[in-house]
Amino acid sequence: MTAVWEILRDNWLLLLIGQYPNGPLGGIACTLILSVLGIVLAFPVSVLLALARLSPWRLLSWPATALVYVARGVPLLMVILWVYFLVPLLIGRNVSGFVTMLCTLVLYEGAYLAEVVRAGIEALPKGQMEAARALGHSHLGAMRLVILPQALFNMLPSMLSQFVSTIKETTLGYVINVPELTFAANQINNQLLTKPFQVFFILAVIYYVVCWSLTRAATALERRIEARRAGTRGVKAEGAPAVPMQPVAAEP
Amino acid sequence: MITFSNVNKWYGDYRALTDINAEVGKGEVVVVCGPSGSGKSTLIRTVNRLEEIKSGQLLVDGHDIHAPMSSAQLNRLRSRIGFVFQSFNLFPHLSALDNVMLSPMHVNGVKRAEARDKAMQLLERVGLAAKALAYPAQLSGGQQQRVAIARALAMEPPAMLFDEPTSALDPEMVGEVLAVMRSLAAEGMTMMCVTHEMNFAREVADRVWFMDAGCILESAAPESFFRHPQHPRAQRFLSDLRSH
Repeated sequence: MTAVWEILRDNWLLLLIGQYPNGPLGGIACTLILSVLGIVLAFPVSVLLALARLSPWRLLSWPATALVYVARGVPLLMVILWVYFLVPLLIGRNVSGFVTMLCTLVLYEGAYLAEVVRAGIEALPKGQMEAARALGHSHLGAMRLVILPQALFNMLPSMLSQFVSTIKETTLGYVINVPELTFAANQINNQLLTKPFQVFFILAVIYYVVCWSLTRAATALERRIEARRAGTRGVKAEGAPAVPMQPVAAEP
Repeated sequence: MITFSNVNKWYGDYRALTDINAEVGKGEVVVVCGPSGSGKSTLIRTVNRLEEIKSGQLLVDGHDIHAPMSSAQLNRLRSRIGFVFQSFNLFPHLSALDNVMLSPMHVNGVKRAEARDKAMQLLERVGLAAKALAYPAQLSGGQQQRVAIARALAMEPPAMLFDEPTSALDPEMVGEVLAVMRSLAAEGMTMMCVTHEMNFAREVADRVWFMDAGCILESAAPESFFRHPQHPRAQRFLSDLRSH
């Protein structure tokens, strides 16, 4: 146990921010920035993908469906390697591991979140869309003003748990030299050589603490949303006038 | 105002509407009644094209609703036909006031302040000005349906369609919704109502259409329909109603 404290004492800065400012920003900071950017950029992608998937136009729905199926049907590591080797060929210059990893996460998480968004939209009662269309809103107008605000709110907990998955997925950035937390831990292990269990114990604990707190946050959020729905539904017609004859008789 | 000419509708092999020929005149109140599954809701939902028809023509305020047209044109036509649903379908993430303001602002481009004044007037008219900031979940069924009527009226439609507006309500709340509908009728609104409220039909309707198996079997003034129904199916329907 003392070895663990010693490793932490000597290397906490490396675990926290990597070799910054002498090198790229790394460690937990890199992991969190990568995850946050990944999920934030994946979110609009996922909404567009979900809308395309639900679109009556096959020109939109088929490619979106294909993309979602492929992204969900292959391992993340494989997507990372594809992006790593293919993107430099396509754009003719090298990109950093960070950017490669970010692009991969946006693509991959976008596909997963798209299914969450689609489920959220389809879970709403059909009457919501009908009412909006009957009032003269266009399909996209109804989506923007009526459907998405409700669906996205209902999906907040799923999104937060998707964020937790994303954090865990950033570990794979290690294979393409993204200086995130796992990479930093491996650097420490390579220096010490004799204490792999202690080093990777620390790594596991850090991931656990971060992910566990976020999972707790997701659960709390879910409870609050449920309580809000149940609470408001419970309040029924306090002191409402039964028949509003007077105001009704007013002129138009 | 609303004219059906030889309207037919099929769900696969099932014929939902058969040769509908009927008219709702300007300022007229028509109540559509009949046993469940007779096509009443289907009929009323074809009027703003929530349901497509197979053949025939449907004119609303002179516009052929089922003609081929761009979706923008259809949206414009729909915005001029008020529709009230059985299940209210208020937008639960918006307050009563915002429910009423939403479409005038985003469909008709009315300024916020103006939309707000108009929405408050309408809520006042349905007796819910005090509930303007309440969310649908905080309102009773009757209150929600009255907000839904105000929401439809906010688009200033020349005609209003009601698809069983009181069927999802507890009995003590039916009266408040019917009161709003009565006052609309008294103001000369063109209305087509699918309803099981036969007293409402008797007092307010100018005509009653009786439907069964996708056909309008009888179209008559309410007093003659209720006193001397012509069609045997209508006679049976009315005696079933009286027997309980």
